[in-house]
Amino acid sequence: MIPLIAWRNIWRSRTRSLVVIGAIAIGVWAALFMTGFATGMARGYVRSAVDNIVSHLQMHHPQFKEDYDARFMVDTPGAVADRLREMPSIKAVSARAVVNGMASTPKGARGVQIKGINPDEEAGVTTLREKIVEGSYFLPDRRNEVLISVAMADKLHIKMRSKLVLTFQETSGELTTGAFRVAGIFDSGNKPFDETHIFVDHSDMAALLAPGSPTEDVIQEIAIMLHAPKTAATVSDTLQSLFPGLLSETYHQISPDLEMYESQINTVSYIYLGIIMLALVFGIVNTMLMAVLERYREIGMLMAIGMNKIKVFSMIVFEALMLGLIAAPLGMGLGWVSMLYLGRKGINLSAYSESLRLYGLEQIIYFELPPETYWQAGIFVMFTALLASLYPAWKAISLRPVEAIRKI
Amino acid sequence: MSVIIAKGISKTYDPDGMPVLALQRIDLEIREGEFTAIVGPSGSGKSTLLNIIGGLDKPSEGMVEVGGHMITELSDNELIDFRKEHIGFVFQAYNLIPVLTARENVEFVMLLQQRPKAEREARTKELLHAVGLDDKMDKRPGELSGGQQQRVAVARALAPKPAFILADEPTANLDTKSTENLLDIMAELNREEKITFIFSTHDQRVINRARRVITLVDGAVASDEKRD
Repeated sequence: MIPLIAWRNIWRSRTRSLVVIGAIAIGVWAALFMTGFATGMARGYVRSAVDNIVSHLQMHHPQFKEDYDARFMVDTPGAVADRLREMPSIKAVSARAVVNGMASTPKGARGVQIKGINPDEEAGVTTLREKIVEGSYFLPDRRNEVLISVAMADKLHIKMRSKLVLTFQETSGELTTGAFRVAGIFDSGNKPFDETHIFVDHSDMAALLAPGSPTEDVIQEIAIMLHAPKTAATVSDTLQSLFPGLLSETYHQISPDLEMYESQINTVSYIYLGIIMLALVFGIVNTMLMAVLERYREIGMLMAIGMNKIKVFSMIVFEALMLGLIAAPLGMGLGWVSMLYLGRKGINLSAYSESLRLYGLEQIIYFELPPETYWQAGIFVMFTALLASLYPAWKAISLRPVEAIRKI
Repeated sequence: MSVIIAKGISKTYDPDGMPVLALQRIDLEIREGEFTAIVGPSGSGKSTLLNIIGGLDKPSEGMVEVGGHMITELSDNELIDFRKEHIGFVFQAYNLIPVLTARENVEFVMLLQQRPKAEREARTKELLHAVGLDDKMDKRPGELSGGQQQRVAVARALAPKPAFILADEPTANLDTKSTENLLDIMAELNREEKITFIFSTHDQRVINRARRVITLVDGAVASDEKRD
């Protein structure tokens, strides 16, 4: 009967209870909304970085990344790439030539990382082709074309069809230069990446990088996309044992910031929930305290006729828990509906595109919420309700029946 | 057989550093089946005495034995359990649980006693029938008149089969008809079931029906009149 009394008690002051239920529900919704936003933003960032820049896995000569020295090439890259394509967990593979060099025009020069790509292979691994905003992706039978970003074009003061001279070290150590013409301008949405990377056709670059060597052997990097990103670490370990002469790394190892972003999703969720629930504690305490003080005489009577302190305490705790039990599903339902809508439509933050670009963040944030966040929110609410009920419940059992009954 | 034996009870309140003597060395013995009224002017110590023999308050001095239990030596938690098993209370302001129906109010104490469901239901019906509220069982206190609420309170007080019932000004908020009706019920329960009733009251109608009248003045027993 204690739960029954508690249940009926919360409806004695319907308006007050509804206000508290509403506050808790909105608090839960707000926490889910903010977590959904933060998760969507973080995952968008990771997705964008994986799709545009790092891929799920990369393989290099073990010494290549020490100084990005083009001499350290992948041994028998054709055989390695063929073996990789046979693996069922691997979705796409792109073998690249990579070198650091200088891009020069009559009006300026910049240090860049030049990637020599096979256009068709690259399209399976990155979204470069879709990011072209002017001109076109590499066309067949065209020689010495280059793709640069909008940001790079601005910095070098060049436009479509402009000429660009690339200078870098051959694998023999000699300096070499090549003249390229801008065929396409892309915008990856990541300003730091765009300002430092340009793309040329692999065969053009290989001819400059290692003259005399078979073109297909001039490979410094193999980028790999997986069917399931979660298997990255496992597949990487497998590749490492299959190809002990190469270094296999996951996107977490290549860009530790991505791992930090992903791992922070849960932390952010807890922080939002924690802050909102902390605020709600005071609201619930206030309501429950009012409920106890209003029923001072009644509680005294209950103790007078034999209701012990544990039962009185439980009754007050039950009342708070029931408020939470009604409010939590409401807030979770609101959150779910919001996620459903904003997960599809997203929030367009293009008004802040410059700042977003600077951090490599997408302009449309599609809300995402890890499913476990829902039950975590539920547990937080119940814990908050329990916590908030302790003081009022303690107040209730601290009263002396003889004094409480005398009160008018 | 004595239901209550109180010896040398004194009670001093000291709310603002100014001690007030509410009861002075009261000796009292209530026997089973008595219908006793404790009367006296306001501030004479009636409610204090009732609270002490009901285990709601503790005396500053003296001892109280109820049904063979020395209640002045019990802790607060033990007193709660003791009251649940041995004492029925009827309060001036009815003090029913407003969110429960008449039936649930009566059943509540038996639930605290962990009595079986069948027994609870049967006794609840029996008691509400005894107080003439068969047709109001599923009404909440707010839907009942003052007299009806007080009758539910009497049924609730009787539910745990207590050693006696303490009624603090039970008729203070009732009209004449309701008062007479309530007193009839209590007198009949006293006569037929040998239930001991102890009232604190100002109400002459209650005093007239009592078979023993203890008068308190300034915290001391001024007279103890037994009527047959």
